[in-house]
Amino acid sequence: MKRIDLKDVLARTVSSGYGDLVTRRTGEAVRSGIEAMLAEDDETAVIDFGTVRLMDMSCADEIVGKLLLSHGPARYFLLVGVHAGHEDALLPVLERHHLAVVAQDRTGALKVLGSLPEPARLAFGYLADSGPALPDEIATRLALTPDVARDALQTLCERRVVRERGGHYQALR
Amino acid sequence: MTRVVEVPTQFDDRTFDQFARSYAADGGGRVLFDAHAAQWASPYGLVGLLAAGQAITEGGGEQPLLTLPQDRDVAHYWARAGFLRHAEQFFELHGKAPRSVARGESDVLLEITSVKGADDVHDVVGHIQDRAASILTRELGLEAAATMGFGMALSEACQNIVEHAGTGGWVAVQTYTWRRKLGRRVVVIAVADAGVGFRRSLEATQAKRFGDRWSDAAALEAALIQGVSRFRDPGRGQGLAGIRRYLNRWAGKLAVRSGTARMTMVPPWDDDVPLADQLPPFPGTQVLMIVPAHAETG
Repeated sequence: MKRIDLKDVLARTVSSGYGDLVTRRTGEAVRSGIEAMLAEDDETAVIDFGTVRLMDMSCADEIVGKLLLSHGPARYFLLVGVHAGHEDALLPVLERHHLAVVAQDRTGALKVLGSLPEPARLAFGYLADSGPALPDEIATRLALTPDVARDALQTLCERRVVRERGGHYQALR
Repeated sequence: MTRVVEVPTQFDDRTFDQFARSYAADGGGRVLFDAHAAQWASPYGLVGLLAAGQAITEGGGEQPLLTLPQDRDVAHYWARAGFLRHAEQFFELHGKAPRSVARGESDVLLEITSVKGADDVHDVVGHIQDRAASILTRELGLEAAATMGFGMALSEACQNIVEHAGTGGWVAVQTYTWRRKLGRRVVVIAVADAGVGFRRSLEATQAKRFGDRWSDAAALEAALIQGVSRFRDPGRGQGLAGIRRYLNRWAGKLAVRSGTARMTMVPPWDDDVPLADQLPPFPGTQVLMIVPAHAETG
């Protein structure tokens, strides 16, 4: 699993004197830096926001929005060290592009950010809290019909925020 | 022949249209901006005055004259706010300019700063973020979450210059107690440029859609309400929407003036109008953001 520290990428691609991810130009440079680090055989890329103080929406769009649009169908992305300020920049971008991504805060808590139907959001919350589960278990625990539960899991898999292995579904972590 | 443009004695967003009317009045010749009687100028007034000088200079006009405030304290404030340093580029200054400027603790959070490129936006945000955090949480009593959004709003407002104005612009940030209207402390961000404005920026992609309705007001509506941008990239056009969300969350005010129109997101404590049209024309775009203290902190 490739771990990418955004502050390092910022220092390498733009300037070591900057601590914030602001402006489109910076976002483009950082995204190019990340793309150069993504190895062909890495199924999951972990992007570490922990050392970044501030991110604006232009940068969020250039980095996360465009990475997910370009590479999301072929790769899993996990954002770690995400705080509320980062979320404020990320959420409008994800909603605008109808994207979703898994974010982990500094305590390790997982949440899915972005545009998702409510049953899918509930199902993700269950998987994040309780670990891998079968569709029937999710339907029962969340009081969903089996069809709705399966649709929700299918949506989560398509958005690449959940993996299916041997019939069990697991939140990306 | 010299044409006199009066700088209002109380020069802020409320009197800006009076200034613009004088600026836009017919008459050739060299322009004299007369600020000798000025008693108070907000950051919005000062960056707007710079934009006026910039528009004339960049438009190939004769360098305008500017008479400085006679009041020594007012002139010192203009110097402390960074106005005089930049004004020398655009105006022939008349009157007594303070020589030295006292530094240290000040209500000027960010002196008037030139914004031309992405590096300037980094510098502005990097310079102000720690101090803004302290003022927003300690003096204004806002939650820590207000801090990050503040930097984001500041960054997006400055980027509008870089991405759309076609020339440089100015930003200033200040905190003060707004006794007249609120009786509370506020942080004010003022951003101005003398660039192409919203209507020209969006004309190629939006004018046809609006047809006869196309105007400065329609361009502001397209950008602020509908989130459109001159770029076809679907990720564009989110900056102003983000600023609106931030200010709405903290009961703040956003006013964007471009050309002959001004669109305002009016908070409950203000009595401004949401849309003012057919205003005196003024070059470029002027943005005002006000974040008030929490009601019980003020």
